[in-house]
This record gives sequence, structure tokens and C-alpha cells, in this order.
Amino acid sequence: MPSESTVGAKRRRGLREGAWGWLFAGPMVLVLGLFLVLPIAMALWVSLLHWDGQSNPFSGHADFVGLDNYRRLFAEDGLDRTLFAVSMRNTLYYVLLTVPLQTVLALFLAVLVNQRMLRGRGVLRTVFYFPSITSSIAISTVFLFLFQGSGAVNRMLGWVGVKGPNWFADPRGVVWLVLGRFGVDQPAPTAGGPLGLSWSEWFAGPSVAMCTLILMAVWTTSGTFMLIFLAALQDIPRELEEAAALDGVNRRQLLCNVTLPALRPVLFLVLTLGLISTWQVFDQVYVMGKGAPGNTTLTPAYLSYSAGFDNADYGQGAAIAFVLLGLILLLTTLQRWVLRERGGRPRRGPRSLKGARRAAR
Amino acid sequence: MRHADREPGADEPVLGRFPRPLRVLGYTALLGFALLYLLPFLLQLANSFKTDPDATANPMALPPDGGTLTSYRRLFGPAEGVENIPFLRWLGNSMLVTALVTAGRVLFDSMAGYALARIRFPGRRLLFAFVLAVMAVPGVVLLIPKFLVLKSFGMFDTYSGMILPLLVDAAGIFIMKQFFESVPREIEEAARIDGAGTFRIFWSVVLPMSRPSLITLTVLSFQGSWNEFTHFLVSTQSSEHDTLTTGLGHFVSGGLGSGTQYPLKLAAALVSTLPVAVLFFCFQRHFVRGANSGSSKG
Amino acid sequence: MATSRTLAAAAVCAAVALGAVTGCSSSGGFGDSTARQDSGGNQSLTLLIATSGEAETAAVKAATAAWAGKTGNTVTVQIAGDINQQLGQAFAGGNPPDLFYVNSDQFANYAKGGSLYAYGDRIPDAADFSAQLRQAFSYDGKLTCLPKDSSTLGLAVNTAMWQQAGLTEADYPTTWQQLADDAGKLTRNGVTGLVTAPDYQRLGALMKEAGGWVTNPEQTAMTADSPANKQALEYVQTMLKAGSAKYVSEVDAGWGGEALGKGRAAMTIEGNWLKGAMAKDYPDVRYKVLPLPAGPAGQGTLAFSNCWGIAAKSRHQAAGVDLVKHLTSADQQLEFAKAFGVMPSRISALATYAEKYPESKAWVDGITHSQPPVTIPGFTKVLTQFNTDLQSLRTGDPATVLAALQRNGEQAIKNAE
Repeated sequence: MPSESTVGAKRRRGLREGAWGWLFAGPMVLVLGLFLVLPIAMALWVSLLHWDGQSNPFSGHADFVGLDNYRRLFAEDGLDRTLFAVSMRNTLYYVLLTVPLQTVLALFLAVLVNQRMLRGRGVLRTVFYFPSITSSIAISTVFLFLFQGSGAVNRMLGWVGVKGPNWFADPRGVVWLVLGRFGVDQPAPTAGGPLGLSWSEWFAGPSVAMCTLILMAVWTTSGTFMLIFLAALQDIPRELEEAAALDGVNRRQLLCNVTLPALRPVLFLVLTLGLISTWQVFDQVYVMGKGAPGNTTLTPAYLSYSAGFDNADYGQGAAIAFVLLGLILLLTTLQRWVLRERGGRPRRGPRSLKGARRAAR
Repeated sequence: MRHADREPGADEPVLGRFPRPLRVLGYTALLGFALLYLLPFLLQLANSFKTDPDATANPMALPPDGGTLTSYRRLFGPAEGVENIPFLRWLGNSMLVTALVTAGRVLFDSMAGYALARIRFPGRRLLFAFVLAVMAVPGVVLLIPKFLVLKSFGMFDTYSGMILPLLVDAAGIFIMKQFFESVPREIEEAARIDGAGTFRIFWSVVLPMSRPSLITLTVLSFQGSWNEFTHFLVSTQSSEHDTLTTGLGHFVSGGLGSGTQYPLKLAAALVSTLPVAVLFFCFQRHFVRGANSGSSKG
Repeated sequence: MATSRTLAAAAVCAAVALGAVTGCSSSGGFGDSTARQDSGGNQSLTLLIATSGEAETAAVKAATAAWAGKTGNTVTVQIAGDINQQLGQAFAGGNPPDLFYVNSDQFANYAKGGSLYAYGDRIPDAADFSAQLRQAFSYDGKLTCLPKDSSTLGLAVNTAMWQQAGLTEADYPTTWQQLADDAGKLTRNGVTGLVTAPDYQRLGALMKEAGGWVTNPEQTAMTADSPANKQALEYVQTMLKAGSAKYVSEVDAGWGGEALGKGRAAMTIEGNWLKGAMAKDYPDVRYKVLPLPAGPAGQGTLAFSNCWGIAAKSRHQAAGVDLVKHLTSADQQLEFAKAFGVMPSRISALATYAEKYPESKAWVDGITHSQPPVTIPGFTKVLTQFNTDLQSLRTGDPATVLAALQRNGEQAIKNAE
């Protein structure tokens, strides 16, 4: 039976540890609370206002309009809804093309670089990974230069006899561009699709300008995902491959029956990480034309910014931000759920650390 | 590439070497891809040494007559033109902000990580759930919210508004927590028996052991704050607070009429990439670790 | 117990820190109080401009430096990349520059939001500024800010290409038909006959010439879907389809002057800012400026101006007004005209200008039949969208474009009330 004094000592120690714990976590709580939770709460309030940025939105004079900002995005025929629909369409195509392309390319590069007999593995890995760590603004500048109408890319295309488009100035959707080759013209926008945007515009595909953004995203992110695949590849137990080899499988069977199944959880991870990050595209849009040409590179993130800072309609901007937040949280939940279901969150044991370390070598 | 001192078999492929044609094909593909990844940087370098008309006329050629340094002179010195871009100001702001943010992140992230990993205190699980939730909030939806809060605090367009909100990042806390959980408890217990308090244990025992993780965190914080764009975009307004990213962003996306000036833009982009590039080549494995820690965010 | 006590401690810590953070810099923040005014010499003013190039930057810097030297104040000139965005953010942030260019598109937004200090009543000789421009920069019947300069559009023609195509001065276009014919003849060897920016700020001149415009003269109702506007856009579309007209981005140029200077365009529609830029960037290119060819409803062009805005939150309003007086004096306006080709906004100075620069005659003459800009609050995004639609005019349908403008504009007018 513990004496009074030991209980007291334990209690005091627990108290002291509790205080230390909060002291250690204090800066984190403070910064994340003040600059993350509080802003979200404030913006949620502003999204219910009509606020032009000139008065104090937290006083009694605020022009409370309820869900009007959200209604204008979804239910009221007008410029706001059209712009929102166009930005959603653009981003949808951006996501649909970027995510599969970057995943396949990353996997391909990882498998190549993982060849054990390959000379210069380290150099190649560096080369493929380097674009990922540079600033999006600097890279966008370079791409703007390369993809000018008479720029480097079109010169190179010219060498093989292809007349390249005027990338950043071309608002035509690639779907109608391709169909145009077969004599099918884009129908006049009449029949109304969802959100007041005609079906022919919904199905226009990404514009030529958007394609350059997609190319850039694939080029910059595939290196990161390659590393994730590489770590996973090196985590595959060697015995597994050796056993398969003893069974006399050929290369393709080894890849399809042993290697790829072992990568499945990581594949889900890469796909969902890609899905989440592509919906947030902003920096590139800001630098490369702010939605031009013809609003075909407009994205919800940029629209939210420009509704606020360009058009002084901060309520509308905040509302768009919350719609986007909802969408991304949905995707994140999906990711966490899928990875848990598959039991496939890459286990952070000694094994994965070893893989990472080997990938780093 | 076989070396006698290597562990036998570790580097051997499971199935013998590829047949020669396949090997050639593989190398060609790899070289092609490598070129594709390098070419933009090479073209950027080459064209930054050209004059404006020359870069427009011959973007693929090497700079004629060994190139011109005009662009770099305009960045770093008082050039003949009056419309100098305040590049040194951008550089100075970027360095200041990056240094402070990196220092803050290394300290506060490891403190918070240690608290979450090792200190038993009420509310710990709740805090960890909070960190996980925070990691799911994407930065771009915070543009207007952050502006609102900085504005309310009177921190809009100040250095404190640029720096304070970046001092802690959830991903860094996560990395440090993972690491501290792998430190054997016995070491801390031994120090505690010797009479060391919680802070002493953290500062003198645990932190010195965490060098690799701290370097990773430093490198990632440096890269993150050096390349940060959106936060500075909404937290500042006047050009005296422009960093390399916002300055270049304004410059590149800016008004018509002043011509394209690509060599100057490319040179500015190149110089702003250099510090991270140098860091990358020195600490590559830490970048790799950062990329892979992304995989354990789930 | 322990939990609640630590929680309370943490809460106190947070509150103290929050107080410290907010308290130490309470100068910003949301507040509707008017700014405290500084007086006397040695004030430090900031001036935010959107420059057309180095010539303009240098001229503004020289002019402000002269004033600063005279009064003992200091002026910092800042260059904006995107002045609308920067000003919008600055007003909402409560930390605007003291003086700035105000674009006519944005004028009504700022005035409605109370961001501008209306100093018109402190300018005794305001009547010397052209009535149209004073109208454009008045809000609620009060002259709010002084027009910085005035500009109109003309047709700039590359004279060398003109001769090479076998055309003479007698062929200078005076009608739409002639313009289309000439553009066709000039289009060859990588040169496009007419290159212009895909903006209503250029193509709108043709709408005016067809007898239409975006709104009625009182700016109370939309008239975008009128047959006259449709006729104008159809005319442009025909030329775009024929390839004798192109937009600037299609020839890798940022604006019409660049296309003209680089020899990609034989003709372009630009304002008098062209003069300074051509002299600086392309001094060897010979060109001549003509009045825009007349349309079905006669001659027409667009008038533009920026005004010198003073922030309502500025602490140097008196000094600011003094600086504006200096910058808009007849002498200084002629100085700016010399430096980068803008036209004075003072009627008295404009007469001197016309004598001094006969080559700018077409622009000066344009003022008599010019259309002032639209200034309705909340209209910026409507017009931005119109510009966006104009970008795809070649493949689009003019009626649809104008119907969208009509609908969006009607909504904006309704919201503005």
C-alpha cells in the first residue's frame, strides 16, 4: 500500500510533466491556433458576408447575407457561377491528366533506376529529382520562355516537321481540336449542362495552354513520386524475388506477379497524394497568365484569390476557398480510409527506413 | 561494377543481365529522359547570357561571342537603365525570412515533436489528432483567411506577419515525433535518475542524438521557406517586403508594355534557384528522406 | 484537476501572447477612423505607379524629386507589377501608398469603397481639365481625383511595309472596307496586316464607330446586345478569319507596339503611349499614326486616362494634393509628354502639345469624338470577362459574346444599386 507521500510525489511529478508537455507544445499550439484555426473561423464568417475589404467585418455593421455567396456559386445563373464552373472544369481535366501521367512516369523511372546493374544510378536519380525541389515560380518562368510561340519547344518540334501551337495563347480545347481534324466542329454552346456551362464546353478538354501546365506538373512532381516508389521497391524482400526466380519465372512475370503487387499500397498512396495536390494548383496559374487565355487556366484556388484581391469580393473568395477545402478534405479522408482498409500504409519499421536510406544512397 | 568488397549478391540482379539489345534500349531511354529533365535548366542558363532580341531569335543556340553579362549586371549592380529590379532587396528579404523561419521550425517542431512522442501530459492525444488534422488543410485555401487574421492583428505587410505564421509546420512536427519515438527510453530514464529535468534531458541528451533528423528538418525548412510563395503573396503588399518568389512572380506576371525581357527573368530565376540547388547537392539524402516522409503522412 | 489547471495556464499563455502580438502593432487592424494628418516639411510619401516603361519611370521619378527638393519632403516611387491587385490588397490591408495611379476601370470600385480622398474641391483651376475626363473621375457628383493625362486610340502604320506592298499615302484607310482591303494586301511573309490586343479597350473603338457601346451614355443601362455592336464584332471576326488580322499573343508580342516594332505587324491600333515606347525600344522602325478609319456611324475612338489617386487613409493628404498640383501643372504635363508621349489632360496644355508634336495629330483630334471609359462599381470583372470572350472571337459567335456581356453587365448594375 503506497504511503501518502509517494502518491503526492507521483502526483506532483505528473503535474510537473503536464506543465512541461504544454510548455513544449505551446509554440505549436499558439502558431497553429492563431494562424490556422482562427483564420479558418474568421473566413467562415466572412464567407457569409458581403464584404468589400474596406470596413471591419467583425463589427455589427457587417452586411450579413447568409449563404448567398455559396448560392451564387451553385444556384444563380450569372458570371460568378460561370467562372466557378469553368475553373472546376479546367482543374478536373488538369487532375485527370496529371495524376495518371505523373504516377506512370514515376513508376517507370523508379523501375529503370532500380536496375541493380545500372551505371550512374545516383546521378540519374539526382537528375530526375532535381526539378521537384526548385521553386514553382522559377520553374514557371523557364516554362513560359520555353513554350513561347517561337520558343525552344516549337523550334524542336519544327526539327521533326511538327508545327507547334502557340502554347500559352491558345484557348482551344484539345478534344475539339482533335475532333476538328475529323471534321467535327465544336457545336455552338446552347444546350445547358450543369452549373450553367454548356455540355460542349464541359467536354472541351484542357486547352492547349492548360496542357503546358500539365506537362510542367508532371515534369516537376514525377521525381518525388519516383523516390517514394524507389524506397518501396527496395523494401521488397529479396527472398521473394529469389524464390520466384527459382520457380523459373521470366522477367515480365516477375514484374507483374511479384514486384507490382508488392507496390500496391504505395501506388494508392502516390495516387491519392497526387489527387490532393493537383486540386490545389495556384502558383503556376498566378505566374503563367492568371487564367488567360480565355479563362482556360483558371483554377478554383486562383479564382478564390482573384475574387478577393482583384474584385474586392472577399465573401465570395472565402466561399470558393471553403468549397475547395471541403473537396480536398473529402479526398484526404478517402486516402486515409483506403490506405487503412488495404492495411497498406507503408509500415514505418526498420524495413522502410532501410529502404529510404538505400534510396538516399 | 562488381567490387570484391561488396556484400556478395546484394547488387546482383535476381535474373541475370538483360540481353544486349534491351540493355541498349534501356540506356537510350534513360539518357533521353535525363536530357528531358536537364534541358530546361541548360536552356535557362544559356539564354540568361543573351541579349533580349537574341534570346527571342535563337532560343536554342549557345550565346554568341561568349555571351553577355548584362542580365546579371542588372540584377546585382547599378546598371545603366533606370528601371532596375530591386533584386538585392528580394534576395535579402528571402535570406532573412528563411533564416528565421528555419531556426524557428527546427526549435519548435522538435519541441512539439518531443512533447507528443515522450512527455505524458493531459491532452496529448488530442493535440496529435490536431496535428494530423492540420496536415490535411491545404495551404491555398488559407489565402483569404490568412490575410484576414494578419490584418486583424495589424501584422499585414510587416516582417512579423511574414515570419510568425511559418514558424511551426505540422509535417516537421510529424517527422520529429517519428524520430523521437525510435529513441530508446532507457537513455532518458538513466538521465532522469541522474537528476536531469525534462528540459535538460531534451536539450542535452535527446537533441544531440537527433542530428540526422535535425539536419533533415533544417534542409526541408530551408527549402520550404525559400520557395514559399502564397503566404508572402497575401501577407505583404509593398515592394519593400518582396522576396525572391513574390518579386519574381510580380515581375514575370506583371504589366505589358515593358517587353518580355526573358534573359533578365531567366537570370533572376536561376540565381533564386541556386541556394536550394547547392543545398540539394550537399544534403541530397536528407531531401530524399523528406520526400519519403511524405509517404508516411497517411 | 491537473488537466483543467494546465489547460487554464495554456489558455492564459495564449491570451497573453495574442495580446502582445495584437497590442504591439495596433496601428494597423480594422478601423474606420480617419487617418491622423501630418503637416509641415520632411514628410515621407510613397507613390505607386504602373509604368509603361523606363521612360515613364524616370520621368515620374524626376518630377517627384523636383517637388521633394522644393518642399523638403521625400517621395518614394514604387513600380507595380499588377497595380489593381496591389492596390486592392493595400486598401483592404489598410496600408495603402499615399499616391497612386487609378485606372478608370477601378475608379468607381475604390470611390464606392471610400478608399479615395476626394480632393477635387481643393483644385481651383479644375475647369482646365477636359470635361469628359472630369466626368469619368467624379463620384457622387464630386470630382474625386485629377486626370493624369489623356489618351486616345489611333491606327499606327509601318510606312516601309506600306511601300513594299505597293501602297501609297492615297491608300491610307478612311473606311472599314479600305482597312480590311489594306490589311489583306499587307499580310505576307510573316507579316500580319493588322495586329491588336484582344481587348474591348481596342476593339471597343469599332463598336463606337458602328454607333454602339457597352452602356448608354448615363451608364444606367446596358446596350451591349445592340445590332451596332454585333456589326463591329462581326467585322473584326471576318478579318481574323481571313488571317489579315491577328491578336498580339498570336505573333508572340505583349502588345501592339511590340508587334509593330518587331516587324510582325504592318498596322496596329494603339494610343499615344506608343510614341515613347517606339522611340525607346524600336527607334529604327518608321511609322505613321492615322485616325481610326470611320465606321458606319462615322469616326470614333476611345479616351483613356488614369487619375492621381490620394488614399483616404493617407496621413499626408495636404502634401499629396500639393504634389498632384505639381504633377498636373501644364509645364509638367508637357514634360511628361516629351518624355514618354502621353497627351496632357489640361485643355490649355493640349493646345501647346498639338503645335509641338504634329505627328500626334491623329490622337489629339480623336478627343472630339472619343468615348470615355465605363465607370460602374463592380464592372471590372464584367469587362475582364468580355476581354476573355474576345480572345476567342475568331471561332466564337459575336451575338453570344455580346449577350453574355449584356447579362453580366445587367447583374453588375443591379448589384451596384
